[in-house]
Amino acid sequence: MGEQAFSDLTVLDCTQGVAGPYCTKLLADFGAEVIKVERPGEGEVSRRKGPFLRDEPHSEKSGTFFYLNTNKKSITLNLGSETGAKIFKGLIKEADALIEDFTPGTMSELGLSYEILREMNPRLIMTSISGFGQTGLYRNYKSTNLIVYGLGGAMYTMRSANKPVERPLVEGGLQAEYVTGLLSFTATVAALLYRASTNRGTWIDISAMESVASTFTGHIAEYSYIGLSRKTNPWAIHGYPIGYSVPCKDGWISLTPGIGGAPNIAFLIGRPELQDDPLFARPGARMAEPEKFDALLLPWLKERNKWEITKEAQELRLAFTPVLSPGELFEDEQLKAREFFAKANHPVMGEITYPGAPAKLSETPWQAGRAPLLGEHNEEIYQRFGYTKEELVKLREQGVI
Amino acid sequence: MGYKLLEGVRVLDLTMVFAGPMSSRILSDLGAEVIKIESVPRADVFTRANVYPENKPGEEPWDRGCLFHSLNAGKYGISLNLGTEKGRQIFKRLVRISDVVIENFSPRVMENWGLGYSELRKIKPDIIMGSMSGLGHYGPLRDFYMYVPGMEGMSGLTYVTGHPNEPPLLSGYAYGDWVLGATAAAALLVALYYRQRTGRGQYIDVAGREAVNCHIGEIIMDYTMNGRERTRVGNQHPSAAPHGCYRCKSNDNWVNIAVENDEQWGRFCQAIGNPVWTKEERFADALGRWKNREELDKLVEEWTSQHDHYAVMELLQKSGVPSGAVLNMKEVHLDPHLIERGFFDVIGHGKGIGKRPIPKQMPAKFSGVESFLPRRAPCFGQDNEHVLCTLLGMSKEELKRLEEEKVIGSAPTFPPGRPTRIDLIEKQGAGWFDPDYLSELRKKYGEDIGLTGTG
Repeated sequence: MGEQAFSDLTVLDCTQGVAGPYCTKLLADFGAEVIKVERPGEGEVSRRKGPFLRDEPHSEKSGTFFYLNTNKKSITLNLGSETGAKIFKGLIKEADALIEDFTPGTMSELGLSYEILREMNPRLIMTSISGFGQTGLYRNYKSTNLIVYGLGGAMYTMRSANKPVERPLVEGGLQAEYVTGLLSFTATVAALLYRASTNRGTWIDISAMESVASTFTGHIAEYSYIGLSRKTNPWAIHGYPIGYSVPCKDGWISLTPGIGGAPNIAFLIGRPELQDDPLFARPGARMAEPEKFDALLLPWLKERNKWEITKEAQELRLAFTPVLSPGELFEDEQLKAREFFAKANHPVMGEITYPGAPAKLSETPWQAGRAPLLGEHNEEIYQRFGYTKEELVKLREQGVI
Repeated sequence: MGYKLLEGVRVLDLTMVFAGPMSSRILSDLGAEVIKIESVPRADVFTRANVYPENKPGEEPWDRGCLFHSLNAGKYGISLNLGTEKGRQIFKRLVRISDVVIENFSPRVMENWGLGYSELRKIKPDIIMGSMSGLGHYGPLRDFYMYVPGMEGMSGLTYVTGHPNEPPLLSGYAYGDWVLGATAAAALLVALYYRQRTGRGQYIDVAGREAVNCHIGEIIMDYTMNGRERTRVGNQHPSAAPHGCYRCKSNDNWVNIAVENDEQWGRFCQAIGNPVWTKEERFADALGRWKNREELDKLVEEWTSQHDHYAVMELLQKSGVPSGAVLNMKEVHLDPHLIERGFFDVIGHGKGIGKRPIPKQMPAKFSGVESFLPRRAPCFGQDNEHVLCTLLGMSKEELKRLEEEKVIGSAPTFPPGRPTRIDLIEKQGAGWFDPDYLSELRKKYGEDIGLTGTG
């Protein structure tokens, strides 16, 4: 195995919440030195967001902050002060990339626009993440995960396929945020590759609304081809509403009958005589009378457990799988064999288990690590930039760090 | 517009359906040269046989599917049968002049063809190979049959998605496939960066279920830290109210409102004209609002249902309250902000399809970097000559022979093109149709949208 992919990079991270920190977490987990710039005193907002270890609210005990800031270093710096902005410019000179998610226009107000920073570091890559982008009608609109998920259009398709609950639903967790963070990471790495071949930096403008809208391109295209606006998962493809979870004895399973595999459902439920029945053989017949199909399948499922059903169905090459709760993931033999979950020791939280690598790279693997304490790396980073211990005391007294 | 950031990077794309083509589409929007490889017996039928323009399959339906067009814009396309020895030989020659190979076959297929990473590496030592699958390329469950419901369902995401006391809901738009594809694109870029530094390639194994799981990190940690199984909370916020999706005046018209704190609550009350109920003691602070959120939601909805979603959004946003219309597919196309930002690329498709707006798959702007309009998704076998003759130096006679030997071809094995069952979709309530979609689009994207013979 080689060294980490980004071990030659230094990244300044001026982001908060989920999207920006997820982008910089990926950079850090693949080896970049990510210096998180936090507000003196309180630090970034996620430190005050749950879940907290043992439900004790504490700025060093947030699970959200831990997960999104693994392998980063933390310094405190008040960018709003003149001295703070000056120190920041010094850091920029040595940085490869700056990731920021201030309200559009804020960096300019701080005297830290891309135009100014580029003069100090022509090879700088600056990634600006926002709800709606740096330009346009909604530029100054307030965004949250829910708001951009709806404006991006994905929410309109989030309704149960077999029993339409009319009110659209947001995807669980904070998916609009993660989508934006992942695309911001990809855009930043592409810019780093561009810089390696051209020696030129760039300013990246990425919006959460557009990131969400890019995730369901197929549904969008249907409008410009036949005027269709989907309200739920497409039925027509497998001839069954795959967009819902089917109840079984101990929970739910998800199933895709499959274009070719459906006749085997007759064997699964012990009714081989039905294998040529149009309900099993033809998606179209299933689509026309889903309730008939359900009447055969659901009672059989109701008497069995999800893993029992899954194992039997998989032997018949049927795409039936269990719906797993967060806790059930820890009993999953595949995740165990792949050592998916990571562990790291934190000075305040102790040993913490969290989701590991999004992808397994053979030469330059993702690395586990912990989140930094607030301002933990002030001395290390500022001394590297020539500040003495005495000067750091003065800066602290002035509230700059 | 795409941006020429990855010029000179050549990607061989063996993937089909959604997740794989999404990963290479993102790379293509970033300027990589992507060569999509299909074959006569095994074309990307699932997406090619999709919704056709004006619901007319036409004579060559395989080149007319809308899902194929949006997932494969910008790519080159060749037909090469890897089931033949000759096809595999040609593939190996292509590997020699490429940087990345992406595939999403079932785990054993590439090995069985002698095209596993260890073999490809012998041909091109610094090749980067990415394999995409539901549960990963090793482990006891690696051979599970599954599609996107399996990836989402086995990740934990489905379990926490849904209205309270309702069954778990799978995404309405194959979200797990997008996560798998976008994660694979990200991982391939990590590998390209490392290769640029060291000259070394590598192998990447991306499991869709694991990629999705990374997107519910804080939910997983509530379990690992506190033993708490989170479940479905609908559109509620863990501590703030009002927070949700509210019915508006028109049919199936909805708006999201997210009041995050007392300050925004004050502005919200003022914006809607301070009705009496906003003064009630039980709504005075955040905790009270959250405890009484069900009644609060009803009162908020009484107000929203007198207005249209865009009007609510504009009014509240003007007052500094986070709010947003829930846009349907028509409104996404016509939204003034997305149009101003150039989210859609208008791409000409020829063949009686004409120009259509196609969404970007890397929706970022890169200042100072040369941009380009992606070419249409490749017609079947469209670039056989360019790739085999220009890039590999074969003669036209050789090309002809390959066609006779059925190693390459110009028309795939394809089911009869069928129109979308509009009647069924309407009957099931799974969607609705706008008969005037072309004229609506022409108003915003130009009079030549959808016109035959305009490129």
